[in-house]
Amino acid sequence: MTRFKRPTRTRTLVALAGVLLMSACGEGRQSVLNPSGRDALLLYDLALVMFVGALVLWLLVGGLFVYVTRINPREMSRGLAEGLIIGGGVLFPVVLLGGLLVYSLPLMQAPREADEGMRVHITAEQWWWRVEYELPDGSRVTSANELRLPVGRRTGLILNAHRVIHAFWVPALGGKADMIPGRETYLSFLPEEAGTYRGQCAEFCGASHALMAFEAVVMEPDDFAAWLDAEAQEATPPQSEEATRGAQVFAREGCGSCHTVRGTQALGKVGPDLTHVGGRVSLGAGILGAEAPDFVNWIAHTESLKPEVAMPSYDHLSPDDLAALAAYLGGLE
Amino acid sequence: MRRVFLTLGALALCGGIAAAAVVGFGLYNVSARQGHLPGVEWVVHTAFKQSVRLRAPEAKEVPGDIGNADRIKLGALHFQGACAFCHSVPGQSRSATAQAMNPPPPHISEAVAKWEPQHMFWIVEQGVKMSGMPHWPADGRGDEIWSVVAYLNAVPDMTAQDQTALTGDGSGAARCSACHGEGGKSINSYVPRLDILTSDQITQALLQYRDGTRPSGIMQEAAAGLTDAQIDRIAGRYGAAQAVSDQAADKTQTDHAGAGLAMRGTDAVPACTQCHGPGRAADAPIAPVLAGQSQAYMESQLKLWRDGHRGGGVRANLMAKAAQDLSDAEIAAVAEWFAGLDHAADAQ
Repeated sequence: MTRFKRPTRTRTLVALAGVLLMSACGEGRQSVLNPSGRDALLLYDLALVMFVGALVLWLLVGGLFVYVTRINPREMSRGLAEGLIIGGGVLFPVVLLGGLLVYSLPLMQAPREADEGMRVHITAEQWWWRVEYELPDGSRVTSANELRLPVGRRTGLILNAHRVIHAFWVPALGGKADMIPGRETYLSFLPEEAGTYRGQCAEFCGASHALMAFEAVVMEPDDFAAWLDAEAQEATPPQSEEATRGAQVFAREGCGSCHTVRGTQALGKVGPDLTHVGGRVSLGAGILGAEAPDFVNWIAHTESLKPEVAMPSYDHLSPDDLAALAAYLGGLE
Repeated sequence: MRRVFLTLGALALCGGIAAAAVVGFGLYNVSARQGHLPGVEWVVHTAFKQSVRLRAPEAKEVPGDIGNADRIKLGALHFQGACAFCHSVPGQSRSATAQAMNPPPPHISEAVAKWEPQHMFWIVEQGVKMSGMPHWPADGRGDEIWSVVAYLNAVPDMTAQDQTALTGDGSGAARCSACHGEGGKSINSYVPRLDILTSDQITQALLQYRDGTRPSGIMQEAAAGLTDAQIDRIAGRYGAAQAVSDQAADKTQTDHAGAGLAMRGTDAVPACTQCHGPGRAADAPIAPVLAGQSQAYMESQLKLWRDGHRGGGVRANLMAKAAQDLSDAEIAAVAEWFAGLDHAADAQ
């Protein structure tokens, strides 16, 4: 009988592992099962160890129970019965759970420890992310809706929120942290694999909560340094005739009262900084691509793409004006 | 018991038939000349007075500038055009025709004597059913109603000369300039200047007042009868053909409380000057110039934008969103800053 059961149990475990692996493959850009940072890996290991520990405990205690009541329900001596109850029902769970506790408790501090690496200030708005990279001299480079990180270095994230509570979560890179108006919370990431991951607001924050995502781009350290250097520069002046006209439309429509394009008259602070918007991989906080048609779509239909957002839809603009704006903004790399 | 119910039922039926006959056969005499049966007038008038007292806002709602001379003047000018036919003005007697109404509208000096400002606000805002007194024709324009109440509140102390000083002797100042000033250069804080607007902006505003998409009891009254040709003429007379564009942002007063908000905005409020100047891009002529615009007018308009009672052109949504997070204090500061700017600083 035992000889017959063993392969079945093994097969079950293999099947279970297969299910786990299956969900980990595919893109995995926004998955805890695709850990690509030290902290995510810690959490992944923790979850796996806990899961296996719980499984072993459940199978052994449950198996023992089934064995003595169904498989071999003969009368047993008092000594054996007490041995089974105390050994299998008390001692074994205490030892196993105690072991898991001892393993897991020290992990609790690790993902949150402060660090010598770069610090990035992230403020959650409704419904987008204000991202400011703190340079060694204390000055900040402002960007939005995209978090770029160097691979192999720990980066501290100082989290805040403007009006309501949000939560910051990049499942593939690390844990989750609440973002609370008027109170800083802290998280740090140590990405170990270059790539583009997806983050998402993980706390209901209003009508467009589900549309509040961002891309986390993990780059080689040299690429990152070059990118940050470029990001700190002022905007490139429009290169084509159409882009120049786009810049005029941008000024005429007062876009600069909400958006900053460094190096121009646009210095608004209500919406995302657009100085290098053309270099980003998504628009509208991770909900659209960043090609010219996406710019047109976003500018003309903002309020239907993201309900209750502060930016009005510019559906009164002519297709020509919209195309010019897209050319201008797309050129701000 | 059964008999009692049957009797009551029969009586009710007879009553219903009688009432239907009175209505259906025209038996009730609606003649104004005829007047009311004895006692009815007392009942109706008492119901009116008690209803106003029950529903009027509290005394603390009365704005602090109820005694402001500009506000009184605006109220007086609107009253002159819209209300005086029935209620007359201090120092003049009522129209014989209006007096023949039933109930006859009281002379304004007599009408205001019994009421506090908050009661008058309610009466002007709501009107009085079956009396001929209309309600305020626009929604959400308490600011305008308080201007009328400001005038009504001043009426008891006014002489005929005071009235003439406010509204002229009726010898016919042009309709627009009576309120908006000679050449549209309004000096009344509650009335916008027209000389710093473009003709297009004036045309658009008048069209919207005429069709009611921009609510205003005062301007809807003024614009209701205008033809397209008249609107074009008015816009051409008062507005500039070209947008005034700015040159001199550096001449502006930058230490004022409203300056930072207007020029740089906050993380919740867009900067006003990007669209309205001064200092706006030369090719941004769409939004009206605000430098030198009337202060109380800007204050009330910003509140209308914020509270969702302001109509506008295709870009109305832009301004509604821009104003949605302004506090009363910020509105006051920004209005004061813009009003204090020299319009010449914004002109070419």
